[in-house]
Amino acid sequence: ISQHAIQRCSQWRCYASASSAGLSQDKITERVMTVIKLFEKISAEKLTIESHFMKELGLDSLDHVELLMAIEDEFGFEIPDQDAEKLNKPSDIIKYLCEKMEVDYK
Amino acid sequence: STGGTLIRQAVKEAKPVFSATSEDARRRVLNLYRAWFRQLPYIIREYDVPLTLPMCRRKLRENFEKYRQVNDIRVIDLLVAKGQMELVETAHMWKQKTHVMDYFKQTVSPKPTDFLGKFFDGKEP
Repeated sequence: ISQHAIQRCSQWRCYASASSAGLSQDKITERVMTVIKLFEKISAEKLTIESHFMKELGLDSLDHVELLMAIEDEFGFEIPDQDAEKLNKPSDIIKYLCEKMEVDYK
Repeated sequence: STGGTLIRQAVKEAKPVFSATSEDARRRVLNLYRAWFRQLPYIIREYDVPLTLPMCRRKLRENFEKYRQVNDIRVIDLLVAKGQMELVETAHMWKQKTHVMDYFKQTVSPKPTDFLGKFFDGKEP
């Protein structure tokens, strides 16, 4: 669909291992929660790692898409649709990102 | 009717336009939203249009919400196709600034309430 869309400027190198890039589950958690907090449609008081986007935070499907796009922009890779449908809580997102970036998830 | 003729019952099922299931259609809609969303900053820059990114995002959301209650898969497919055509025309710069501003055109002009307004409008006070 987006042939003319964006030339993502990839100015960061891909490191061989996630740990040398300074990635850990805590760092990923921090970044994800920051991105979610910056999203205006979510009130920061109700937000926890386990809060469900649609049921507890009151987002609809388009808001969910916008949120996942913000996370894609933050971490620099695209999340395909089949995976995106299942990411309904911040903890799901963190687990998915840890798997994708080969960081140990506890 | 003559004996022996079978009444053929036409199978009443509509041929799909693009998607076979509603899941498929939902995915198309969300992908269209994603593509438009990603294109918005470039539209603002390339068309030099007096809009801000929040305004454009709100308008995009408004245009998608307009068809929120549509459930017929073929209708959804057609709407997605039209949206995709609009996106292609806008992204390739085949449109002009006025066409982009048309999305923000006010279709209902506010009715005058004071005497002079109604007078200029030509209506009886």
